[in-house]
Parts: sequence; C-alpha cells; structure tokens
Amino acid sequence: MSEATGLLVGRRILLVEDEFMIADTMEEWLRRASAEVIGPVPSVKQALELIEGEAEALDGAVLDVNLGRGETAYPIADRLNELGVPYLFATGDVRIIDRPTHQGRPRLNKPISRAQLLRAVESLLASRLPPAR
Amino acid sequence: MLDFARIMLRQQVLADFGEFALRSQDLDKILAEACRLVGDALGTGRSKILEIQHKERSLLVRAGVGWDPGIVGQLRMPMEEHSSETFAIEAGEPVVTQDISKEERFDVPPFMKEAGVVALVNVPILLPGGRAYGLLQVDDLKVRDFGEDETQFLRTYAAILGPVIDRLLMARTLYSSEERFRLTVEAALDYAIFLSDPQDRITDWLPGAQAVFGWTAEEAVGQPSAIIFTPEDRERRQDQWEIETACQEGVAPNVRWHVRKDGSRVFIEGSTRALRDPDGTLRGFLKIGQDVTERRRSEEQLRENAARLEVLVAELQHRSRNLLGVITSVAYKTLGEEGPAAGFLARLQALSRAQGLLSEFGSDTAEVGALVRAELEAHTEISPPKVALSGPRVLLTVRQVQNFSLAIHELATNAVKYGALRDGTGQLSVTWTVSQDETSQRRLFLDWTESGVDVQPGKVIRRGYGRQLIERALSYALHAKTEFVLGEDGVLCRIQLPLE
Repeated sequence: MSEATGLLVGRRILLVEDEFMIADTMEEWLRRASAEVIGPVPSVKQALELIEGEAEALDGAVLDVNLGRGETAYPIADRLNELGVPYLFATGDVRIIDRPTHQGRPRLNKPISRAQLLRAVESLLASRLPPAR
Repeated sequence: MLDFARIMLRQQVLADFGEFALRSQDLDKILAEACRLVGDALGTGRSKILEIQHKERSLLVRAGVGWDPGIVGQLRMPMEEHSSETFAIEAGEPVVTQDISKEERFDVPPFMKEAGVVALVNVPILLPGGRAYGLLQVDDLKVRDFGEDETQFLRTYAAILGPVIDRLLMARTLYSSEERFRLTVEAALDYAIFLSDPQDRITDWLPGAQAVFGWTAEEAVGQPSAIIFTPEDRERRQDQWEIETACQEGVAPNVRWHVRKDGSRVFIEGSTRALRDPDGTLRGFLKIGQDVTERRRSEEQLRENAARLEVLVAELQHRSRNLLGVITSVAYKTLGEEGPAAGFLARLQALSRAQGLLSEFGSDTAEVGALVRAELEAHTEISPPKVALSGPRVLLTVRQVQNFSLAIHELATNAVKYGALRDGTGQLSVTWTVSQDETSQRRLFLDWTESGVDVQPGKVIRRGYGRQLIERALSYALHAKTEFVLGEDGVLCRIQLPLE
C-alpha cells in the first residue's frame, strides 16, 4: 500500500480503545499500513488476556487512557513496562496527569489523524528496532 | 412563782429556737441547738435527736448534747419491735420512763444503760402530713418523773421542729437538683444556652454560649439578644420576628448564621422559647442552639459544587450539540448531500438526536422508547399497524446511548431503503422488555420485527458499514448480543443489552 513506509509492515501492535468507532478506524489505518493489529479491545481485562495469550512478542501498543466507568489503561501499561514493550497513550482527556512510571511515554491527544497515528507508532518502533532481517 | 419562772423560761427557749431556726439554713446546726436548748430547759444537760433511716430500718443519732462524739452522728440502732424508740414512734406521743430498771413495756438500748441513763422521755418528731421524722430524746442519770408541763413543753418543741426540719430537707433536695441542673447546663459546651428578659435583654449567659459566641457572661448580660444576629438579619428584623413568633407560638426556630464577638460567623440550629408564669405573664426567653458551622459549610460547599457541575454539564452538552451541528454544516458545504455524503449526514443527524435526548433527560441517561421513536420519526409517521412500538421505560447510560442510537438508525435506514418502511405494504413492530438472568444482571431484550416485505435475495439486507454498526458496535464495549436475520417476510433483529 502506498501509505506503508515499510516500518510498520508485519509489526504486531496492540490496540486498546473503548469507543468502537475510533477503535475500528484506528485498526483500519494500522492494517492499511500493513501492521498486524492485536485487538482492538475495550477493557483492561481483555487487553491483559490478549497480552498473556500471544505466543509472539508484541512490537508496540496504542493505549486509550480512559476506558470508561472509571477504568484506566495504566495496569496494561504496567504489564507492558515489565515486558519491555514500547507504547503510547492516545487520550481525549488533556487533564490526565500520567503517573511517574508512565511519564515520558509518547502521548497523542484526540482527535488523532491517520498521519499522526502512523508517525507516532513508527517512531515508537524505531526506538527499539530489531536487528535487520 | 417558780412554776411561772419555769414556764417563762421555756417560752423563751421556744421563741429563741424559733428565731434561730428561721435564720439558719444548716440542719445540723439547728438540730444541735435544739438539743442544747432542750437539755438546758429541762435541766438534764442531755438530749439527742434520732433520725429514722427508712432504707436500713434503723435510727441514727443525728444530734445530741451530753453524749460522746463517738455516738453523735455515728451510732445507729436497729428499729426493733420492742425498743423504747419504736414504741414511742408508734404511740405518736411522748413516752416517759421514770426508771429504766422498772420498765416493762420495752427494752432500752445497751449504750444508754452503759452511759448511766436512768430516766428518759421519747417525743416523736412528725413532719407536716404526719410522717415520722424521728425522736427527740431527753435523758437523766437519776430517777425522774417528767411532769405533765414538761411533756407538754416537749410536744410543743417537737411540733416546731417538724416543719423546720421539713423545710430544710426540702431545700436540700431542691438545692441538689438545682446544682445538678446547673452542672449539666454548664457542661453542655456544644450548646449555646442563654436567657433573656421580656424585652429580650440577656439575663443569663451560660458557659456554652460563651464557648460558641465568644462573649463572657459579664459582657453579654444586659445586651439585647440581637447582638448575635448578623447585620443582614437585623436589617430584615429577623430578631423581632423570632421573639414575636416565640410569643405567639410558644417557640420559634432559630436556624441561621449568627455573629461571634470577633465578627466571624457561626451557623446555629436551635430555637427560642417564650417563658411564661402559670398565669401567662411573659417572663422572658430561653434560647438554645447548637453550633453546626462545620456541617453547614460542607453542605454549602457541596451545594455550590453540585450547582457548578450542573452548569458545566449543561455547557458541555450545549457545546457537543453545537459541535455536531457545525460538523453537519461543514460536511454539507464540503460534500453536498448526494451519494456517500447522504449516508454521512444521516448518521451525523442520528448522533445529534441521541445527544439531544441525553441532554433532555437531565444529565447522563436517555430512555429506550424515546431513542427508538426519535430515530423512526426522522423517517416515517409512527402509527399502528404500520409502525408499532411498545415496551417499558428503560434508561440507557451515556456510554450505551450513542451506539444504541446508531444501531437503531442503521435498522431504520435499512427498513426505509429495502424493508418494511419502503412502500406502504410492510409493517414494523419494535418491542422491548427487561429481565434478569441468573447472575441478577438486568438485560434489555429488544425485538425489531419487519413483516409484509417482499423479500428479494440480495436486496433486503445492506452490507458493509451499516450492518457492521448493527452487529459489532453494540457488542464491542457494551457486551451486547445482536442477532440479525432475514425472515420469510422481512428483517428480524434481536438486541440483548446488559443494563448498567
């Protein structure tokens, strides 16, 4: 595809987002860039199940912070920290103050365009590129 | 003359005692003086007063002269049936024993025999109403016949003693209950309590009032009660209203902000009560109030926060609706309204309608019936048998409303383009119920039933995004189940949605 720069091809990206419309659209954008989308899932529980169930390691993750009904994506971020998987936050709430352990992670403020999302995920992956295949 | 002198002396004793008893408030002193005077008057130098201890059925030597200190105030003797004392109390009149060695009617207590008492007279002391208080006992160490004049003198003496004792006993009871009352009121520091006169000038300012308002009793007494009212309340004559209401109704509520000595404010919940004599004359006012400033402040803070939140929510709803309106305009101007733009604009409008209903229902819920009705009314007239809706009132949360509305919008659009709402022949029924499953989870069951549709393969159900919205949007984050099938004469869709 024309929008695939190659960096995302075959990369396994976890997508956590509770709003169906947004999840559906972001999934499509990532797929068109030839990434492999794990999810999308709308909750912490489902995300952790996915992470533990994956045989192959994840290359990165896009996390919505506020998952509705008071649930936040921080437990997922904690688990990803342990696994050494890079992630970024996509959030609609500009007032959310990230906790110290999650500070310094890239953050995208909603609404997010396709170009913003792909650029951010690419630079996320570039930060830990695997050895050339 | 001798007799006359003696009578005069005894009259003098009675008069002296009466005067002394009127002046003194001390029962022990009065009884001691009574013993001294009677011992002198009868020339024995020995007498005592025995007080009945009802609970213990005994007699206490309450006062005496001529007796050892170990006996007066200490000795108690049981009220035995055969004792001289019990005999006299029951007789109700003076009982004379000339010589105790010859006494056959009763026994004389051992301590008296040991002290060498030979003769005695016991005179009952009766309280007003006839209840026995005890005995006046005059003893002599030699055989003696107490004459008629002497026993009469002792009767008179005892008759004076009775009321005197009664008055002091009552005063003591009153004093101790007053003392208890005072201690109770003074300890109640959480309550401001004070009294005012009929002109509402402060007369009694208790420690609780000082603790709450800051003025000392010296500063407050004599001031008008209005000093604790705020200037605003005084301006509105609330102080006047309060005492007028208390006069008319007996009591007036006093629930308002007050001022303290230092000018700070304190919220009091209390009342003002009019105090009246039995004949109805106004004596003044009793004001009791509790300092509830802390509670009041948190309540006011809560109310302010709630009000601010309400404004904020209304503003947000307003902005969301406006934003959707702006997006619709931009889309229309950019894309026109033909082709794919038509579907886009229709979906935007469905979202706007849901948003509108959310703000209409107050804050964060919208009703299933209203959502379905709004969606269908955008396309057609709702009137049976063509279109029939029925179901109970069910509220959906803000999280559910958007996707639910979009799903209903897609079903309605589908019905307009291909199904029951396309021409005049089809029928649509939308019914819903709520039931609980075994885990007590309440669920909405909604049936969308189209009938009378000329089913042509490939032309009844839309493919693509619309169907995806119906089947996936609700299940994604809301755990709903959607079954969407083509029946013999139209679309059947059942939505099962867990309620929050």
